[in-house]
Amino acid sequence: MSNAQLSVRDLEVRFPTSRGVVEAVNGVSFDLERGQMLGIVGESGSGKSVTAKTLMNLLPRTAEISGDIHFDGEDVRAIASGHRKHFWGVKMTMVFQDPMTSLNPVKRCGEQISETLRYHLGMSREAALKRSIDLLEQVGIPEPARRVKQYPHELSGGLRQRVVIAMALACEPELLIADEPTTAVDVTVQKRLLDLLDELRRDRGMSMILITHDLGVARGRCDEVAVMYAGRLVERAETEVLFSDARHPYTTALLRTIPRIDQPSHTRLVPIEGRPPELVNPPDQCSFAPRCRHAQADCLEGVPTLTNLDGNREFACRYPANTEAGRTSFFANEAAGQTVTGLTIAQPSEVN
Amino acid sequence: MAGSGHASLRNSENVLLSVRDLVVEFPISRKERVHAVSGVSFDVAEGETLGIVGESGCGKSTVARAIVQLNKITSGVVEYAGTDLAQLEGEDLRRVRPELQMIFQDPISSLNPRRRIRDVITEGLSIWNEGTGSWTQERIDELMNAVGIDPKFGDRRPHQFSGGQCQRIGIARALALDPKVLICDEPVSALDVSVQAQVLNIIEDMKVRYGLTILFISHDLSVVKNVSDRIIVMYLGKICEIGDAETIYGSPRHPYTRALLASIPEPAPTVDPSEGNIIGELPSPIHPPQGCRFNTRCPHATEICFSVEPTVNAVDGNDHFVACHHPVEVGVSLPA
Amino acid sequence: MIASVPEPNAAIDGAVEKKLGWAFWLSVAWIGGLALAAVAAPWLPIKDPDVLGAAPRAGLFSDNLLGTDALGRDVLARTVWGARISLGVGSVGIILGLTVGGTLGIISGYFRGVVDQLISFVFFSLLSFPSLVLALLITATLSRSFWTVAMTLGILGIAPIGRLARATTIQFAEREFVQASRVLGAKNGRIIVRELLPNVLIPMGALTLLGMGISIVAEGSLAFLGLSVEGDAISWGKSIVDGSQVRDLTENAHVALVPIVAMFLTVLALNFAGDRLREYTDVKETAF
Repeated sequence: MSNAQLSVRDLEVRFPTSRGVVEAVNGVSFDLERGQMLGIVGESGSGKSVTAKTLMNLLPRTAEISGDIHFDGEDVRAIASGHRKHFWGVKMTMVFQDPMTSLNPVKRCGEQISETLRYHLGMSREAALKRSIDLLEQVGIPEPARRVKQYPHELSGGLRQRVVIAMALACEPELLIADEPTTAVDVTVQKRLLDLLDELRRDRGMSMILITHDLGVARGRCDEVAVMYAGRLVERAETEVLFSDARHPYTTALLRTIPRIDQPSHTRLVPIEGRPPELVNPPDQCSFAPRCRHAQADCLEGVPTLTNLDGNREFACRYPANTEAGRTSFFANEAAGQTVTGLTIAQPSEVN
Repeated sequence: MAGSGHASLRNSENVLLSVRDLVVEFPISRKERVHAVSGVSFDVAEGETLGIVGESGCGKSTVARAIVQLNKITSGVVEYAGTDLAQLEGEDLRRVRPELQMIFQDPISSLNPRRRIRDVITEGLSIWNEGTGSWTQERIDELMNAVGIDPKFGDRRPHQFSGGQCQRIGIARALALDPKVLICDEPVSALDVSVQAQVLNIIEDMKVRYGLTILFISHDLSVVKNVSDRIIVMYLGKICEIGDAETIYGSPRHPYTRALLASIPEPAPTVDPSEGNIIGELPSPIHPPQGCRFNTRCPHATEICFSVEPTVNAVDGNDHFVACHHPVEVGVSLPA
Repeated sequence: MIASVPEPNAAIDGAVEKKLGWAFWLSVAWIGGLALAAVAAPWLPIKDPDVLGAAPRAGLFSDNLLGTDALGRDVLARTVWGARISLGVGSVGIILGLTVGGTLGIISGYFRGVVDQLISFVFFSLLSFPSLVLALLITATLSRSFWTVAMTLGILGIAPIGRLARATTIQFAEREFVQASRVLGAKNGRIIVRELLPNVLIPMGALTLLGMGISIVAEGSLAFLGLSVEGDAISWGKSIVDGSQVRDLTENAHVALVPIVAMFLTVLALNFAGDRLREYTDVKETAF
């Protein structure tokens, strides 16, 4: 067992549905050091949110979960029901994408934060309200004494998300999971919210998991970034390493496909052809192979394992980008005009 | 007048669409109105892509919907090929509609869940009684191929396709009538990043293939830059800045434009990241500020900004217009 | 280059096969069988429902399979013949309610404005008028013929059906596919017929079955007030009333019970089938 604060090993989450078993999370492992910010990047259906909800014990009962989750050496999945109240919401909390789902529309903001304090920490009504005002001030809400008396609908989206963050911080958590916290807000508001989360994390020595679909957000804020695709963790590395020298072809493709502000207008974008695979009974192969420009015959035989190299990076690919094997496989596919899965490589494109 | 004025309008023969002093207000009670768009003027030349960028509540989508007359226009002129669309009614309006088509933000909501996708794409031709004959089927096949949907899936219904595919079906529907102008209202913001590029490339391809003039609305600065020739930045129902894409991003002059460019996760090199720290909240569009509408949050605001509305004025000589009393001197706030 | 990938799951194959289930088909069989029997009643090998010949108040499985009533009339025959009127007024009533209410509701929800205010006012008036008083007024002023009773039931259905149609229409009229259709140049009529009707009517069609059940029960209630179809016409409601004298209920409960069970099973079957049908026709909007 590593000495990481949070350690996740071989996490698998399955949902039985009428169409078959959905393998939402498939063998995800990672560690999070105290005080670090880990970014989990992925598209819809990649399993990033399900991973977060598993950590927070928020999945419906129908979910079949296996694997180990340890927090400070404690087996999270074995926490007795009587002890839960002192773990989730206290040591580990979560902020969701849509603040309205976390806020009760018919209760004043102050009451909602106070309730958290009274429930988890047993504070008196007066003390809780006073602390709520402090918290609102800490998350940068102007006129906190007035805001505690307001209802969520009276606040703007950005302020609402701050109230949610204040609620999450109420019990001084050691780990905060933020699931797309800024997806529903505008860029100027996003910047301020992310600045706030950054600041709070540094001040409190809190650890954070930032779940996002936005590579730019992850790049600007995280110490380490994990990329998920189709329920699997396909690459994890220190942020600068990942963005400057990615190995997994999905990561490189994702970085290449996004329009960049420093490119001239009408720069031809490099799309990732096809669409993410279905998660029902996935075949025993690399899930990115059908869309991958590097794919070779053996990519269709068995899922590549996550290879750990020199501790600061790992990836699950047999023909990784920016390596000799990757280049060779890509040139071979380019010469053939298509990959083993039938993906045509039309025009000569730059090597990755 | 604030953020208004005609300075940016070009006196050129190939201007296809010209919007002048557009005002759109939604009454919410007997006394109060939402000032969604307040005196916006711009034009689009034939074959050009005009991007409109801004945050929620800036009125960009209202402008798009007002052009195709989905919103009632309070006042102003929407001149398309010499005709004021705002003055047209009934059958006259219906007859010009095929010329200006639109693609919507939500690919799922924009397709009727109970219709087959081939019927959805054929709908335009069928409305104009061109729905019969084999050439139509050929044209539909060609369109489906052009947007990357295999015609053999034509009998399927929208729920059997992904968001990206639904958006391509929406594009094919819009193009079936051979429009001159395509209005794209946040066409990729509901899509995953890996399929955004597919759809953006298709829009670019279709522009060339069918000779389209495009109005592209988005909140995403990088996306707008990628597709646009010319860009408008809007804030609270007013225009802040107009210019060609390289100018807007390379030497932004309006404090709000600069704030936007500094707020994105990987800020533009032309601005200082601290310029993104704009204070306060977006004012209510029911009671917008007097003077310049950005005055409550602008670091450069002085007395005049609270009393006099700035007009859109040319700066730097070339095609670059700013509605600001104190346009930022490019380079001044740059470090070093 | 666009989408050069062969997309085996370009559209999701084998999208969930929805099944109606055996209970649905059992319900349909019951309703269908009953409707068939009602139509074919004159030719079925059952006794004449109006003949007073047999011994009165005969028990089950006597000479008469389901016994006789106080006047010696065959209960089985009267129940089968009663289905003619009960199912008849039920279906005619609901069709009337659906046509008038549905049309008004869609128009109201689509055009909004003054038209909407006007139609909504009609709905509210209908809803706030006590339904029994309305039924009394109509049946008392006009004759109590089959058509009057059916029309009464239909009028009672207009407001609730219309309100639902209006709400559903409003929900769909703001969807982008309706706006897209307008931008393509479709006229209002076409938008209503092509884009809105399928989305409003199909779920409401399933509602028809539920409404029919309600109408059948309503006929029973009218019968207790003596307001069901007049004269010798037989309906379940009237048969139940006939069998509800105290002496019958204590000693010959089957006289009332047989039509009650018939009504209960029919309404149950209609409700169940309608509910399943609603679920079945509910379209998925996304692939995931």
